[in-house]
Amino acid sequence: MSRVQIEITLGALLVLVTGALLVVYGLGEEERMERLEREQQARAIEVGAELFELCKDCHGIQGEGVPGLCPPLNDKFFFTERMKEVGWSGSVEDYIVATVSGGRMTSTRPERYAGQGLPAMPGWSEDYGGPLRADQIRNIASFIMNWESTAPDRREEGVLAGPPVGTDITISLPEGNAENGAALATAQGCVACHVATPTGPGWASSASTPAIAERAALRIAQADYTGTATDAGQYLLESIVLPQVYVVEGYLTPMPADFGSKLTAQDAADIIAYMLTIK
Amino acid sequence: MLNSLKLQDLRKKAAQALDQRVRIITAGLGINELRAALRGDPPTERPNPRYKVHTISFLFHIRPRYYERGSTIFAHTFRLGFFTTFAFVVETITGLILMIFYTPSPSEAYGSILNLLSNVPFGSMMRDLHRLGAEAMVIFTALHMLRTFLTGSYKKDRSFTWLTGVILLGITLFLSFSGYLLPWDQLAYWAVTIGTSMAEAMPLIGNQANLLLRGAPDIGAGGLLRFYLLHVVLLPLAAILVLSIHYYKVAREHGISQPAHIEEGKASPEEMKNAKQRIDYIPDLLTHEVFLTALGMFLLVAAIAFNIYGPAPLEHIANPQQTPLDTKAPWYFWWLQGMLKLGDKTLMGVILPGVMVAILVGIPYIDRNPHRSMFKRPWAVGAGLLATLVIVVLSYMGLPEFGIPHAAASRIIQDIIPEEGLGPLRAVPFDQLQPGVYEVGGTAPKNLCPDLILGPDQPRGCPELTEVFKEFNDRIIRATTVANLPKHERLPNVEAVMLIEDWQRDLRKVTMRILWDDVDTEARKTYERHVYLHRFHGGE
Repeated sequence: MSRVQIEITLGALLVLVTGALLVVYGLGEEERMERLEREQQARAIEVGAELFELCKDCHGIQGEGVPGLCPPLNDKFFFTERMKEVGWSGSVEDYIVATVSGGRMTSTRPERYAGQGLPAMPGWSEDYGGPLRADQIRNIASFIMNWESTAPDRREEGVLAGPPVGTDITISLPEGNAENGAALATAQGCVACHVATPTGPGWASSASTPAIAERAALRIAQADYTGTATDAGQYLLESIVLPQVYVVEGYLTPMPADFGSKLTAQDAADIIAYMLTIK
Repeated sequence: MLNSLKLQDLRKKAAQALDQRVRIITAGLGINELRAALRGDPPTERPNPRYKVHTISFLFHIRPRYYERGSTIFAHTFRLGFFTTFAFVVETITGLILMIFYTPSPSEAYGSILNLLSNVPFGSMMRDLHRLGAEAMVIFTALHMLRTFLTGSYKKDRSFTWLTGVILLGITLFLSFSGYLLPWDQLAYWAVTIGTSMAEAMPLIGNQANLLLRGAPDIGAGGLLRFYLLHVVLLPLAAILVLSIHYYKVAREHGISQPAHIEEGKASPEEMKNAKQRIDYIPDLLTHEVFLTALGMFLLVAAIAFNIYGPAPLEHIANPQQTPLDTKAPWYFWWLQGMLKLGDKTLMGVILPGVMVAILVGIPYIDRNPHRSMFKRPWAVGAGLLATLVIVVLSYMGLPEFGIPHAAASRIIQDIIPEEGLGPLRAVPFDQLQPGVYEVGGTAPKNLCPDLILGPDQPRGCPELTEVFKEFNDRIIRATTVANLPKHERLPNVEAVMLIEDWQRDLRKVTMRILWDDVDTEARKTYERHVYLHRFHGGE
């Protein structure tokens, strides 16, 4: 074979192999595009979670809201009923984008969530004088939408399963279930202040302090302790139902004082059991 | 009898008509001639109809009718000029396709790349081809120039061609660089911010040059549009124009150079005779070029299909408010980044590169040595090799690891969970990120989560998370115990913790926190980073 013939043959072969490679690559395209879309969605949620730091002071660190101030964004009501309440015809995600972008001049539910004054919620889009770009607001919406599948139904939780635990810390509590306690800690909004914000003491151990279980035992022995608890369990119950009795130095923000009427004895036992497992 | 005659007549007529059509399409080759050419047979007619093509066809008229055998020696040219042009054509075609899906505005650009990747079949392949082709073009241009220098092919009649080549090198680099900004991610934004800041360092006209390039004091909508237009209109047009001049000189005036001893007439008579032999463009060189094209396409497609070089990176969307910890120029500008570390921006970023360009342009006039052979011009070859070596060393110095003192705490955390890209912690499977508080102690635990069960047949624990924590642990311990470290790498009296929390469905939050006593002030200092990791974050 002459050089021309060899090159024509080899070249034709290469074109065929390249074509075959393209076909094989093309067969995987559908799947690849789906995977990339999922990854893009995942990254949008990650970025949204970071940006939600801007929202946590009002809407809670986990979107559980702050009673009297701002509504929860992570419960069933928000994802199913809220659109009807305000007469919104678009999707929930669009509603979030619109509300975050433009804010709220006045609260739509002033008796329950008054907001922070005027405006009740500031506009966050840079188009309306806020600090965020459109893509950042869409990321926040992606993050909030990620609560939809796990959103608890708070209206049912509002009805207590038994008599409230009250404020007597000497009662004997039933056996606690740490797993239920963990769920309650989120649902009741405890984690909003007790996980990572400087608002309330963190439950987990940190650089200089032991975890809450160990700390509870130490607190009652402290000279400045003003409560009446005699053991760690009682101290924790006291802190939940009578938070104003003893405020640890350095923390001035008072904790809601109505947990005695919002929790059953079983609830309180569960939360305490959960707190005792935190290392 | 009459019937068969008529039939013969008809067949002859049809053959003639077909032949004529073929002659029009091939610009001069009849059907027999085409067949002969494809088979590599000698021409069937006289005068050689294959030369006629070069007169009639526009595309072929710029190609020479033949090369002398001496200039087709592979080890002399390595086909580097051809491959540079090949890469340029690949860039033009893939670039046109990418333009369909791209919008040059800060609010749309990044989203249009995301859409290209997740919503356009073969979209990511087009992007990867475009990026690979661009880097190939830079490599081939540089090698082509090095080859031309080493074989002394820039001398005498070829000095103007050398000048156009230097201009093409510049255009190639600016083409790559202007395309770098278009995805509008952090990588692009900050690399180009640093790059254009050199324009600002120009004496006297710095401020104006910067405004002209960026459209505003900082890169924004104006800057992106300017870079886009540079990338898709001005620079390609300039490249086509200069490339045409460059090639026309080669094809029409002095030809591709031949090895020095042949061109200078110092080879044996037999070798000379062999080297003077004509190799026709049709079919020999044409087949060769088509073959090289097929080879080039195959290599590009295979590199992408088998993921040999990795997909083109895409970091978070550009954020002018947040300077990343590590910024890195594209590798073909590392030498410049290395130079900038050595001194002042005006001197190292403007004046010295200007001098380098002047030297490149002036090489044919500086080097008065009439010889072309490498062995007869040791100074020139030595200087060329030295310059290449200097570029390599400068490129190494341009790496972010070199010469920039990183504070220990931020460096350790950045290495484990970098702001951009994967990093070891993001590579840990989501299920292994067991929520908990992990404190750095003397020796890292063998298994960080002994009670974690991931599946029925899997061993308990989280081996990959343990591995990452071990790295974190060991580096912290090293920074606090090794005595003779430089000041900025020390973490006296350190406390460090890694905290993993369940945050949302398929989303966990990782906090890494380091507390230490400042070496100078002895004040307690803290560095921490919060990162959210989603189950489907994916690899890079």
